[in-house]
Amino acid sequence: MAEVNMEELLNCALCPNICRCECPVLQVLGREAVAPSGKARLAAMLQQKQLNWDEQVLEAVSNCLGCRGCTIYCPFAELSLCDELLNTRLDAKDGGIKLSVVDPCLVNLSKHGSPYGQKKGSSAAGDSGAEILYFAGCTSQANHPESIEAARALFREAGVPFQMIEEDCCGYPAEVWGDEELARQLAAENRRKIAESGASTLVTNCPECWLTFTDRYPAWGEELPQEVVDGPTYFLGLIKAGKLKPRQSSLGKVSYHDPCIWARTAEKTAEPREILERIPGLSLEEPLSCGKFTRCCGGGSMFQLSFPEASAAIADRRLAEFPEGAAIITACPFCREGLLQDGEGRRVLELIELLAKTCCR
Amino acid sequence: MTEPIRTILQESRPDQAVIDRYARAAAGLIGAENVSANHVDLLSTCRDYWPVNSIWMLEGAVPALPQLVVWPQSTEEVSQLLALANEQRIPVVPYGEGSGALGGVIPLRGGVMIDLKRMNKLRSLDQKNLLVTVEAGVNGELYEEHLNRAGYTGGHFPQSLRCSTVGGWLACRAAGQFSTRYGKIEDIAVSTEAVLADGTIFRGRRVPRSSTGPRVDRLMIGSEGIFGVITAATLRVWPLPEKRHLASYTFENLDDGLEAIRLVMRSGARPAVVRLYDAVETGNHFPELSDQRCALILLIEGARTIVDAEQEVIAEHVLANGAEESGSKYVEHWLETRFNISAASRLLQKGAVLDTIEVTTNWHNALSTYLAMQEALKGVEGTIMASGHWSHVYPEGAALYMTVVGFPAEDKITYYKKLWQGAMDASLAEGAAISHHHGIGLHRGLWMAEEHGKGLEVLRRIKGALDPHGIMNPGKLGLEEVAKWQK
Ligand SMILES: Cc1cc2nc3c(=O)[nH]c(=O)nc-3n(C[C@H](O)[C@H](O)[C@H](O)COP(=O)(O)OP(=O)(O)OC[C@H]3O[C@@H](n4cnc5c(N)ncnc54)[C@H](O)[C@@H]3O)c2cc1C
Ligand code: SF4
Ligand code: SF4
Repeated sequence: MAEVNMEELLNCALCPNICRCECPVLQVLGREAVAPSGKARLAAMLQQKQLNWDEQVLEAVSNCLGCRGCTIYCPFAELSLCDELLNTRLDAKDGGIKLSVVDPCLVNLSKHGSPYGQKKGSSAAGDSGAEILYFAGCTSQANHPESIEAARALFREAGVPFQMIEEDCCGYPAEVWGDEELARQLAAENRRKIAESGASTLVTNCPECWLTFTDRYPAWGEELPQEVVDGPTYFLGLIKAGKLKPRQSSLGKVSYHDPCIWARTAEKTAEPREILERIPGLSLEEPLSCGKFTRCCGGGSMFQLSFPEASAAIADRRLAEFPEGAAIITACPFCREGLLQDGEGRRVLELIELLAKTCCR
Repeated sequence: MTEPIRTILQESRPDQAVIDRYARAAAGLIGAENVSANHVDLLSTCRDYWPVNSIWMLEGAVPALPQLVVWPQSTEEVSQLLALANEQRIPVVPYGEGSGALGGVIPLRGGVMIDLKRMNKLRSLDQKNLLVTVEAGVNGELYEEHLNRAGYTGGHFPQSLRCSTVGGWLACRAAGQFSTRYGKIEDIAVSTEAVLADGTIFRGRRVPRSSTGPRVDRLMIGSEGIFGVITAATLRVWPLPEKRHLASYTFENLDDGLEAIRLVMRSGARPAVVRLYDAVETGNHFPELSDQRCALILLIEGARTIVDAEQEVIAEHVLANGAEESGSKYVEHWLETRFNISAASRLLQKGAVLDTIEVTTNWHNALSTYLAMQEALKGVEGTIMASGHWSHVYPEGAALYMTVVGFPAEDKITYYKKLWQGAMDASLAEGAAISHHHGIGLHRGLWMAEEHGKGLEVLRRIKGALDPHGIMNPGKLGLEEVAKWQK
């Protein structure tokens, strides 16, 4: 189990919350207990046995989107508060404490390999033995089959053989909910299937899956034998190679929402924009915060399932930053869901769907 | 099981039954989701950034605990909550973002924390009159961001910009780093809206000036929660500056630097940022400059032609006082690093005691106050550094900001109190004001009687009239003795 870095955690606990302005959870809830340094203080007290685990404490230290908004202004280069909080939460299980709201999701994960319940669309597909393995992730599998359809259409249009395996959830939700054992089981199962696929490259359009494959799997001793490539970079490559040729889009004004992980961890802010620039007929207008200064959609760390009300409020706050009349394009299944929460009929599309619409017949 | 958390300054608490009753009534008024007795919320609002709180935090203790946290969302809700608390004689402490430096939010007598952060709307931006009306709980950085997006600036940049509220600024009479041009918050504020202890709501007028008796809403500025709750304010805004000019200089000694600034202010020029560092701080912030000289950094901004003229006048005065030019890069460095306070966390973890003590001097006693305070701070065994700079400059004087770090062999709190006793004695003896912008809170209340003389009695009488049952932030501003926190 990853250890909490006590020195960094205390640096944060002793900080006057310099980054609080960039913490979406704090900004919508206004609760000191969920301020970045507020959470660090609770975590430090837990570590130092000054505080016992109970559901209220767990709820507070779980109130983190993993969005890394706090890193924008954080003076401690070595500190990753969301990871320290995640590592802290892993202890709660030993104390017999869990978040009751996510209990059914954890049961689903261990029974069905998906937090959403019985898997619908996840079956092996494509050309077995193909070099490219497309990993859709549980959220697209459960809630956005159209995004997977778009990816398949793009591979076919580009003439690139691809395969899909019968996916289990990558393990990310189990970890953020404090069940590392389950996360590792899912990782082991996925790794086995992915390795057996014989593919040389894994492409995923889900930032959470990407992060888990590239960062957590190695930490759990489940490093994937393949190169793991993010969707925007991969599909931009197909456009540049002339294999995909976007045609005129009638969408007009669009605005790109940078998913936090793509923007701040993978540092992929240029690639999606370049795809948009290569689609004729679009005019790109940025939201008020963008690029590495992006603000979370409310979907990080499975918030839609763990804290639906806060998640919706964070989405509303983010939606207010987009130019009026622009369709919102994003490159993450969670962001798509997050930004659709307002129900006000804003057009929200995944980049991959827009690309498929303009490239595929 | 862990031990119950240790509270060091808790004086008393209302009966839990009284609080439970209040909680039920409050939930009826403002919704159960805006009322919390969750121990996690109580623990999280029990302190501010007073360094003593950090020392206690490392020892696993807290200063004192509230019994309830409430989050009103409108002025009317604040009024109802206060009226109810007043009836029940329950202490109430307003809470912004807890960046206060003197223990102002510590709930010495338990009771209710009224957290203003759900009152965070910008009510209106009046471009014609250059006024913005904003609720008290809005975060400073987000406030400035909102104005910038509309082409304006609020002109107020405390180092805590990103972690303090507009209400907190007003309550503490804060000063921003650009105050020499834009003023302190009391200069920027045109009027306040507030609720008194009994629930009375009152609002000042948004006219520039008036001659209609004392403007009573201004009593709330600097009141640190002892009269009531500031719920909103109307503040000045400025169009984003057309031009910004950065300049830095060094002087052989502080005397020359101070004289240069004095003459600049006398000339009528108003640079936004003026910071004159002693040799120690010059070395810390700008190691390349060090060499025993004192750095002056300046930032001038506004309309192009005015900035050009000010630049000329300023250069003339500083060069005539023995300055050597050192270009813009040190100011750029300052701009980049001005919000970085990471050293404090690191030092605290290493066992240091540290603080910053800001006072206001006139020109005649600027240097002597610095020397006296430095001598006092260095004179306490354990001190490894006592340095200073002047910023926030006026025609009649400037703020002096001392930083002290020590590794005492004795008990940290005893050492801390000795530092302050020395610094406050020196400041009072030199005729400086004991605070320029951090305010009084709990700790500096120990010297309020010496600062104000009879004036403190006047303040007590006002407090008695506005808050007869003494429910608002009891034990602060030196109005009464706090048995557990003495000199
Ligand atoms: C790193 C750092 C740098 C700082 N730099 C500066 C600086 O450059 N300039 C400066 O002036 N200060 C500075 N401070 C001090 C502090 O940020 C200010 O005093 C700030 O104004 C406090 O705002 P807050 O919202 O955090 O208030 P809090 O700490 O929450 O409260 C401060 C006091 O005001 C009262 N209060 C808060 N809100 C209200 C309200 N709405 N109505 C009535 N009373 C209220 C509280 O009860 C308390 O007594 C700094 C602090 C830190 C930690
Ligand atoms: S994450 Fe960094 S900036 Fe934010 S509270 Fe912690 S130490 Fe301070
Ligand atoms: S990662 Fe995001 S949600 Fe978590 S503390 Fe940082 S800013 Fe807040």
